[in-house]
Amino acid sequence: MTTIDTPRPEALDATASEDNYLTHTRGFLSWALTLDHKRIGVMYMCSVLASFFVGGMFALLLRTELLTPGRTICSAETYNQFFTLHGAIMVFLVIIPSIPAALGNFVLPIMLGAKDVAFPRLNLFSYFLWLGGAAFTLYSLVAGGFDTGWTFYTPYSTTTTTGGVIPVLIGVFILGFSSIFTGLNFIVTVHKLRPPGMTWFKMPLFLWAIYSTAIIQVLATPVLAITLCLLIVERVLNVGIFNPSMGGDPVLYQHFFWFYSHPAVYIMIVPAMGIISEIIAVHSHRQIFGYRYIAFSSVAIAMFSFIVWGHHMFTSGQSGLMNTIFSLISFSVAIPSAVKTFNWTMTLYKGTISLTAPMMYGLSFLFLFTIGGLTGIHCATLNTDVHLHDTYFVVAHFHYVMMGSALIGMIGGLHHWWPKMTGKMYNEKMACTACIIIFIGFNLTFFTQFMLGSQGMPRRYYDYQPEFQIYHVISTIGAYVMAIGFLTSAVCFIQSLMSGPKAPSNPWGGVSLEWQCASPPPHDNFSTVPHVGNCYDFSVVRWDEKTKNYIVDHKLELEHADGAGSHS
Amino acid sequence: MLSIVAAILAQAATPQVTPADFWLPIGASTQAHNVDLMFNIINYICYFFFVVVVAMMVWFVLKYRGKPGTPIRTDGITHHTALELSWSVIPLLICIGIFFFGFRGYVDLITPPKNCFDVNATAFKWGWQFKYPNGAQSDNLVVPSGQPVRLVLRSNDVLHCCYIPAFRVKKDIVPGRVTSLWFQCDVPTGLAEQDGYYLFCAEYCGTGHSNMNRKVLVLPQAEFDEWLVKQAAWLDEIPDEELYFKAGPKIYARCSQCHSTDGTDGLGPTWKGIWTRLTTPGGARFSDGKSYADLIGVGKEYATPEDYIRDSIYNPGKHLVAPFGNVMPTFKGQLNDRGIEAITGMMQHLDEFDSKGAWTKTPPATPAAEHK
Repeated sequence: MTTIDTPRPEALDATASEDNYLTHTRGFLSWALTLDHKRIGVMYMCSVLASFFVGGMFALLLRTELLTPGRTICSAETYNQFFTLHGAIMVFLVIIPSIPAALGNFVLPIMLGAKDVAFPRLNLFSYFLWLGGAAFTLYSLVAGGFDTGWTFYTPYSTTTTTGGVIPVLIGVFILGFSSIFTGLNFIVTVHKLRPPGMTWFKMPLFLWAIYSTAIIQVLATPVLAITLCLLIVERVLNVGIFNPSMGGDPVLYQHFFWFYSHPAVYIMIVPAMGIISEIIAVHSHRQIFGYRYIAFSSVAIAMFSFIVWGHHMFTSGQSGLMNTIFSLISFSVAIPSAVKTFNWTMTLYKGTISLTAPMMYGLSFLFLFTIGGLTGIHCATLNTDVHLHDTYFVVAHFHYVMMGSALIGMIGGLHHWWPKMTGKMYNEKMACTACIIIFIGFNLTFFTQFMLGSQGMPRRYYDYQPEFQIYHVISTIGAYVMAIGFLTSAVCFIQSLMSGPKAPSNPWGGVSLEWQCASPPPHDNFSTVPHVGNCYDFSVVRWDEKTKNYIVDHKLELEHADGAGSHS
Repeated sequence: MLSIVAAILAQAATPQVTPADFWLPIGASTQAHNVDLMFNIINYICYFFFVVVVAMMVWFVLKYRGKPGTPIRTDGITHHTALELSWSVIPLLICIGIFFFGFRGYVDLITPPKNCFDVNATAFKWGWQFKYPNGAQSDNLVVPSGQPVRLVLRSNDVLHCCYIPAFRVKKDIVPGRVTSLWFQCDVPTGLAEQDGYYLFCAEYCGTGHSNMNRKVLVLPQAEFDEWLVKQAAWLDEIPDEELYFKAGPKIYARCSQCHSTDGTDGLGPTWKGIWTRLTTPGGARFSDGKSYADLIGVGKEYATPEDYIRDSIYNPGKHLVAPFGNVMPTFKGQLNDRGIEAITGMMQHLDEFDSKGAWTKTPPATPAAEHK
């Protein structure tokens, strides 16, 4: 039902080396018009990584500019465009699609034991929408650029003279639809395509996370679309919606914008939490601790995310009563986040921990997310936030969450599923080294920014007072270190593609369904309906001397199934 | 009531100016101590949880690390309801506590006392104007010590944000609304700029965003009253013939962000040669294709060049010199006729000023001198 290809008899018993999704059909069109969720996932991944490179370059440029007070390499106007582009590219083109659209697309149907997502054509359409949105965003660069900040706050965004504002607004509008369609697709897929035996509470936690994310994507993104339309209407037709000189209200814009963009923060972080649940369980070879608590906390975070947007506006002139209510509700997000952190930590307890590259990223995530989460308390507390709002403290806080957690989670997930996606292993030592370099560089870059902010340096500053320089210098050095780390990681992946050893179907000893199909998976994922067990039951895993890794032992599995049958 | 008592006790117990430490900058307002206390309490809670999580993580990884080949352990428990409930409920209680004290501190922070001294602050791209009840104006914020001060905040153009880190106060300035913040500083700093506290714009507002910093200077009440009277009369006290070189450069300091005097283009046209351009036919062109000569002259929109300059300062968007955009804010209410007279005089005698707008006192024997 989900593919247009007529089943080829030889595909059923073909082994991975002869026929997989990469070799199934050939030629440019077989990729551009593919309905295969795996190919779409891979295309998303390449696009997202390319965007990440561009966004990262802007980050390096603006960190270089901040080495000295005043002019270092560019003018204030150029610097303002740099940080705007860095923010817009990283948020809309990288982090939001990175895990759901790229990794989610690849992994979700296989984890479900399905042949594809529920609506493969819609899935391809989402990808083309992403390309269209990205094209408009890039076009805005040649149309004069834009210096509005990624938040497009009015009335600055409706009055600035830079020419790229409208193209980028259209770009983000289109990207929003790409995100909505992906979310819709995943919701239906999780509801309808689960195999017999996989109840909600037998789903891998990554699926719970993707499902929660999809709900946010579908419910919140339309508000962004409307807001951007209103912005375009105001800028083009001079209808006063947000600009007070035409009778509008700029604070209304902030409400609209954050009603999407706060939930969007969870579109970024919740899927990363799902990946971490997988990585920590699989690489500790131990049943995830408190499965239900983690599953419910994903849903809780998704729900709370809709009612905390006002904490972006504590100093914006919003009433004191509103601030109080939003402050109180904002703390509610802390609880499910804390629960997850403790549960992941407890999962390590009495595990059999392999310190593989994905696990290194998983542990980095735990460390960085703890800092990012805890510093959220300073920002949710009203009287301390008045001091910290719009300073580098907030910049550091959200980079710890969005980059240190969401992106590190994404890179960890890429390492985790890389053998599945490409059929190749990578140099483990090199990948771990890259992870350590990134970890050190990250903390150098962003921990100093906490001090910058609490000492009183506002964000988005081209020029600054000389007493802040030492922090900026350390931060910039950290950014270069991080760049070296990512470069090492890229070399490691390219080397793997060129000459990596062949990956077994289950390199880490995972139990969820994606490890049951070949690496890389065949076009239809599974030739027969896979057996659904407990995806976190590692008692069926044993060390295999022949392949030198942990494998699922089917004899153990059968024994276990006999025993488990009585109480399931 | 309790919070007032607590605040009074806290004030009595601590010095009014707390020095900068690892995390926080110098704290100079009566509120700073309470904010810092809250910040530090949260910090210690964070240290505790961070150490707990990371220590457990490192310990477990070291202890349960399985070298390749280690048999899988299966004795780990899958969940523990009491444990999980406790690490949901304890953080919840801590969060509610933090919220409550943060809220109480916030109410103190946003509720101005009744006896506030009001100062009007206007933010614009890219600078500040502070206006006092007696009509005095200042570029830096000068306030009396030992008295609560309320800043009434207005914006001329886009969003700005008034942020004084040493006082731990911050408030967005929203065009179309009037917002306010208050503070009290008990230790005078004097009028020297290097002793003052920073005042920043904390809401992104474009090219000059990071140059909107000014100083807050705190004077003892008697000195402040004296300063206030002098400040209100500074333009009137200058004799007419000295106006353009005494008042001109001071006012030009604000124009200089966009208008140069040396011929380089900023966000607005340079002032160099402006008087010649205004008074000779041809001149510069407007974006609608007209030239100065089409606008200025008997029977035209502006009878004199002075009239054109005055209107350009009050209604800057009316006629735009090509190729510059409509970015200049209005100075209506900030610059009176005498101030404009000073500026106009400076434009007429521009060759007496250096490229930074300072008067070099070398009036050459050229037609410019005839204006006197």
